[in-house]
Amino acid sequence: MIEIIQTPPLNTVQDLGRFGYRRYGIGCAGAMDRVALAAGNLALGNDANLAGMEFQLFPVKIRFDCDIAIAITGADCAPTLDGRSLPPWWVVNVKAGQVLTLTSPMSGMRSYLAVAGGIDVPMVLGSRSTQSRDGFGGFSGRPLRAGDQLPTVPGAALQFRDSFGLGIQPPDAVLKGGYHSWAGQCDVILRVIPASEYEQFDDASLHAFKTASWTVTVQSNRMGYRLAGPSLQRTTPTEMRSQGIVAGVIQVPPSGEPIIQLSDGNSAGGYPKIAIVIQSDLWRLAQAAPGRSLRFSQVSLDEARTARAEQSKYLQDVARLSSYCRFSKAHS
Amino acid sequence: MSGGITILEKPRVSYCGDHGLLLEAEGDLALPTQERIWALNDVVLGWAGVLDTQPGMNSLLVLIQNDEHDPVEYHDRLLRAWSESQSGRRPSKLLEVGVVYGGEGGGDLPDVARYHQVDVAEIVQLHSGAEYTIFAPGTGPGFGYLFGLDPRLFIPRRKVPVMRKVGGTVSIAGAQAILGAPKHPNAADTSPTGWHVIGRAHDVPIPFDIARDPMSIVSLGDRIRFRVERLDR
Repeated sequence: MIEIIQTPPLNTVQDLGRFGYRRYGIGCAGAMDRVALAAGNLALGNDANLAGMEFQLFPVKIRFDCDIAIAITGADCAPTLDGRSLPPWWVVNVKAGQVLTLTSPMSGMRSYLAVAGGIDVPMVLGSRSTQSRDGFGGFSGRPLRAGDQLPTVPGAALQFRDSFGLGIQPPDAVLKGGYHSWAGQCDVILRVIPASEYEQFDDASLHAFKTASWTVTVQSNRMGYRLAGPSLQRTTPTEMRSQGIVAGVIQVPPSGEPIIQLSDGNSAGGYPKIAIVIQSDLWRLAQAAPGRSLRFSQVSLDEARTARAEQSKYLQDVARLSSYCRFSKAHS
Repeated sequence: MSGGITILEKPRVSYCGDHGLLLEAEGDLALPTQERIWALNDVVLGWAGVLDTQPGMNSLLVLIQNDEHDPVEYHDRLLRAWSESQSGRRPSKLLEVGVVYGGEGGGDLPDVARYHQVDVAEIVQLHSGAEYTIFAPGTGPGFGYLFGLDPRLFIPRRKVPVMRKVGGTVSIAGAQAILGAPKHPNAADTSPTGWHVIGRAHDVPIPFDIARDPMSIVSLGDRIRFRVERLDR
């Protein structure tokens, strides 16, 4: 059992998402930074898709009621365990009664806590993710509150050989990401594939889309990010029919300022779509705080495939390297 | 006036990032076309490597398990399956819903009447005189996107979304209509929308509940009629 002692609203239990229920209009939900959650799980010897906690508001205080191995990944939230400071991207054994404290990250947006065996909330419609807007999944279908007691899997405590813990190499150290000739040092580059209405935009808008930078506004959350930047316009604005949409879609409402739909976004919509962020870059967006500048870099499906292969190799390496540092399940 | 919508002469398939494809059907919105979309949906769901599918208005979204497959593999196959897809009637239910048009719950009715330069009563008559068919799932579990809006009620979406109270909303935009589910106890009172809310269905049933079997009271192809309970001017 894990007890939430303190949490602001909007922190939730998530796995890698809910698929197979779009016929009801149910979107994917799931961790915004899927790479961080998957890496935490794999470092613990879990399946990548087990449920963990996503923290996007701080401070958070958690007490563990059992011995258990945990992984803290995502944005560096200066974790402390009983007051002892832990490095970011860290795996460690905790003892029953210990208290973990997480504070607002200096950079990045979302931190993840994975535990050996996963957070044992019920599987609802094929996933343990919180479907906040429909009120099911995760922990009681809602964000976490102080006093919540989250079930863990009995006997899942894996003992790491070194009680000090084990580091995980963060993905930004390994995954190079896209290239944009105009990008500054701090710009987040998102690789995109043109979407169905791309060709309807006028030349000036397409040029701006490829070259300009967009700022993440404060109207950005798990549903989607609203961006500020040059206005994008179609040559002939027409009414659209409503269609299914995916996380990462860059929609352009008549105001001309793009919206990127994300994990808790609409599953359908009728705004024109200029492009779609490749799945391998959604974690970069998940960590882009309001004020960060984004640039879009158009890539081919081949390049997107290479990016997926790199990401999958990174995650395999996380799993392999951490496996050397664990006692085998039989031994523990 | 029914213009303002791009109508494709030929079907086309575009990519939805690196994990999906969107098939858009040729022609205008029509029941036989949408029946073919539903039939295609059932076929594609059975393909290896397909993670999920979602019918849209005249379209089908297909999500691919891209760790082992690539959307490219499905491009031509999807177009071919579309050309082979047949229309056919399915058994369907009729749901009748009482609506209070205008007033506080349907505050956009006067604007819609002004846009079409007619009296609000004519808008109500045209809207309640039609039978609507659930064509595609909506933005969340509910009554979906409805086909059947009288072409004389075509009205563009708002340029800037506005905040409107949720729960039993009766709205129109473009050539489409929607019926909102009752407000969920945990949901916010208002939500942003680019649609025009012309009425309110106060006794609308809860369309979706994971604890119920079946979870949804409506299926694609079911029909909805709006009965005028009152017109508030």
